[in-house]
Parts: sequence; C-alpha cells; structure tokens
Amino acid sequence: MSDRPAPSQDAMIFLDGVSKHYPGQAKAAVSELSMEIKRGEFVVLVGPSGCGKTTTLRMINRLVEPTRGRIFIDGKDVTHADVDSLRRGIGYVIQQIGLLPHLTIADNIALVPKMLGMKRTDRRRRAEELLELVGLDPAVHVGRYPKQLSGGQQQRVGVARALAADPPVMLMDEPFGAVDPIVREKLQMEFLRLQASIRKTIVMVTHDIDEALRLGDRIAIFGPGSRLAQFDTPLAILSNPADDFVRDFIGSGAPVRRLSLLKVSDVLASFPSDMPSLANAIEVDAGETVHRALELVLASGAEGIEVGGAGGTSRYLDLQSLLTAAAQPTKVLS
Amino acid sequence: MKLIAYMTDNADLLVFLTEQHIELVLVSVGISAVIGIGLALLTQSTPRLRHGLLSLTGTLLTIPSFALFALMIPLMGLGVAPTIVALAVYGIFPILRNTVTGIEGVDPAVVEAARGLGMSPGRRMRTVVLPLAWPVILNGIRTATIMLVATAAIGAVVHGPGLGQEIFRGLERIGGANAIEEALSGVIGVIFVALVLDLLFIAIAKITALRGLNVR
Repeated sequence: MSDRPAPSQDAMIFLDGVSKHYPGQAKAAVSELSMEIKRGEFVVLVGPSGCGKTTTLRMINRLVEPTRGRIFIDGKDVTHADVDSLRRGIGYVIQQIGLLPHLTIADNIALVPKMLGMKRTDRRRRAEELLELVGLDPAVHVGRYPKQLSGGQQQRVGVARALAADPPVMLMDEPFGAVDPIVREKLQMEFLRLQASIRKTIVMVTHDIDEALRLGDRIAIFGPGSRLAQFDTPLAILSNPADDFVRDFIGSGAPVRRLSLLKVSDVLASFPSDMPSLANAIEVDAGETVHRALELVLASGAEGIEVGGAGGTSRYLDLQSLLTAAAQPTKVLS
Repeated sequence: MKLIAYMTDNADLLVFLTEQHIELVLVSVGISAVIGIGLALLTQSTPRLRHGLLSLTGTLLTIPSFALFALMIPLMGLGVAPTIVALAVYGIFPILRNTVTGIEGVDPAVVEAARGLGMSPGRRMRTVVLPLAWPVILNGIRTATIMLVATAAIGAVVHGPGLGQEIFRGLERIGGANAIEEALSGVIGVIFVALVLDLLFIAIAKITALRGLNVR
C-alpha cells in the first residue's frame, strides 16, 4: 500500500489509474486515468463523443466496473465496496431523468430515503423540502405523477431525487441536454444558485463546451482515447489551452469568452497603482467581470472605468488599457 | 324450443359443469402463469435460452389439442390430472411471450435511474420492472385463459372435467334423442364461460391499472 498514491486530505473523489476495457474491443474505453476532485468542487467532464467521459462518470458510482485502478470517495477505497449502498450515498441525475412513472413525485423523491429506512411521515416532509429547494410548489406537485409535469419540471424533480438523502457527491450525465435551450439556460442558472447554497461535490458530463465553461469550477477536457487533455479552471483553459486539441475544442472566440470570466480586479493587478485619473470614467466594482465593465463603458460612452478602493483611493483604467490587458492571457494570470 | 327445454331440465348439471370448466381453466392458467412468468424472470441474463424456450413453447402450441390430450393417456392415464397438464402446457407460450415483451418494453432510462439510486436487482424487479410490465403480462394471461376455455372442452377425450363432457356425450349419440341439444348446450356453456372470464380480466385490468400511467 505504501508506494501507491493516496487521496489528499481535501479530495472528495480520487481516481487512481482507472481503466475500463470492454471484452472484445481492441481499445480501452478509459485507460489509466487519474483525477482528484476536491470537496465542494463542481467539475465538468467535457469532450467529443467516445472520449470516455461518460464511462469515467459511471465508474465513480460503479455503474461501470473499472477493469483496473482504484476509486476513493471521501478518503475511502470503494473499488470493492457494496455497490447498492455506495450508490445510495451518491446522487445521480441522467439526461432522460428516469422518474418512475407509476410513482408520485413525492414517492419518486423519497426512493433513496425509503431504502435507507426513513419513516413515512419524515419522507413526506423531506420530499416537500426538496421540492421547495428546486423551485417547485410542494402543495401542487407532491401528489402528482411524472407524466403531468413538463420536461423542465421533471428534471428539477430528478435533481431533488438525487439530493434526497443529502449525499456529499452528485453525478450528472448531461442533465440539461433534453430540455429546450431557453429552459436549459434557466435550469443551469438555477442549479448554480442551488449549488452555491448546498456546496456538493459535483461531477457533470456534457459535450457542450459553453455549458462547461459556464458551470464548472474546473473543467476536464477529454481527448480521443480518454486522454485527459487539460484539467483546469475555465479561465486558465481559455487563457492557456494546453495543446492544439484543446484549442480546437474550445473553438474560436476564446478571447471574447474570457471577458466574462475575468474579473476587473484580475486586470487591475497587471497595472501600476498610479495610472492617470480620467475625467469621464464610469464607476465599476472590482468584483465585476470585464465583460460587464466593457458593457457599462460602451453604453455610457465613458473614457474608461473607475474602481473605488479602500479609503477613497480610486484607480482608473482607460478603455484601451482594459482591452489590451484582457487580451493578454499570460500576463494577466502571472 | 327443444334446446331451452333441455337446458332448463338439466340446469343443475349444466351449472355444475360450467363451474367445473371455470375451475379447470383457472387452475391450468394459474400453473401456466407461474411457469411462464418464472421462465421469463429466470432467463433474464440468458437471452439465447429465453429465445429457445419461446420457440419450444410456441411449437407445443401447434400440436393439435386432440392429439396432445391423447398423448397424455400413456403418460398420465385418464381424468383431471392429464387435462390440467395439457392445458397448462398450452397456456405457457402467450404468458411467457408477453412477460418477455412487457419486461423489454420498460423504459431503460427508468431502470438505469433505479440502478443509479442503489436499488438491488430484486428490488428493481419488484418495484420497477414488474409493475410497469404488468399490463402486458396480464394481457398474456387473458389471451391464455380465453384460449384454454375452448381447448378445455377437448379435455373430455381423456375424461377431463367440464362442459366438454356434455359436448362429447351429445356428439357420440348424434341422431339420438336430445343429442343435438346436449352438444349445443355444452357449446353455449363454453361461450358463456369465455365471456365471463374475459369480463373478469377486464375488471382485473381496471383494478390493477397504474394510476400514474393514465393520468392527464
């Protein structure tokens, strides 16, 4: 045991050289993959189809049994643990949702609590709490059946069901893929708000790089042959793509997309504190994104921005400097 | 109307034979259901064996019932037992077929979600797959039942119970007094039993219908 890698203290999920080789197939679906996901982190696995991202996700709750390697959850080696109790401790959401059509919404949400032996009245209360949490009115929905709900509502119930036993880890396989784009964006934003309050460790699979950039604290970009091409924050990936594959995958427009990830404070850091003051500047908060700052400048026709500092010391930045700095990834990040 | 006169005169006997006929069919179908559903569940992970069983039980269905009953004589003699065995053999195919179709028709996403939530295979079968497949399975049992109502009448060749006795007695004495009435009242009885049992199944289907699948 001594020379084998072990998860660090703050790791919630740790994959140690996991491989999946399906019998009769020449190439492994996933080969020798190691990854560490920290407590409370939202990690998005993204890549072209067939890159092994879904297989990787499904190895975490062992819906796919790894051929080789070890899986740790919260410091414990669960590679050979009892699968059913392992899965009851991990929330799982899939694109097709898979609500049981013959059970009410309340019974669907309470499936895992029921298996864990929670009493009937407590299950009912828990289902109501969770409906509230995902933005559905319990009074209306508790006794309804899945068929009576819209796709977006069903997906909210799917999330509620995954959260029912308050698992520390949630796995989501293209959870927003089946709803129309407008509902999708709304669900994504709602989910981000939800995550800000519940702070679960989340691993999500998507093939949509925009969704990954919008949601993930860190993004794992899978290349062909389940190669982990880059595993980093959205900003770092847009600023410094690891190779041509990543560059291709994130596509054009990376510099523009970075603007909504960069904070004004990030840009200010690369300038001396005594930049000349501007007569016609618009006031912006340091925590605001560069995208928002540019929007304000362009809308007001100001020369640049003024960022209020502590003790009345304001810093100024003209439009040209703001743009130049935002376009220089390496300098900004250093 | 000689027929009506005959039937009223022999009402006691006809009621007795009708009851016997219903019992015979229900017992046989019960055995077919246990075997048919059981085989479908046992062959979950062995699709080739399942396919083989479907072919086999389907082939058994093509043996003319008269011949199958006759084949029972050297094995089991005469009476109730060979009748029930032969009927049960006939009933397996529609029930096995529909159970397989019903299970295969369950949305894989629902089963996958149940797996991901940590439901054991047994619990998945009990609380997800079988309830959702039930309407199709029930239909298979209904088909088998109606089929057996007719086939059971032939059971009289091995001295089986039920309305077949009435029909065969009449046919043996054709030309004799009341022979036609005797055979006809047996036939009418069989039709009556088929209708009653069909209504029974419609009622069962209504009662066991899954609310969630029929709501708007």
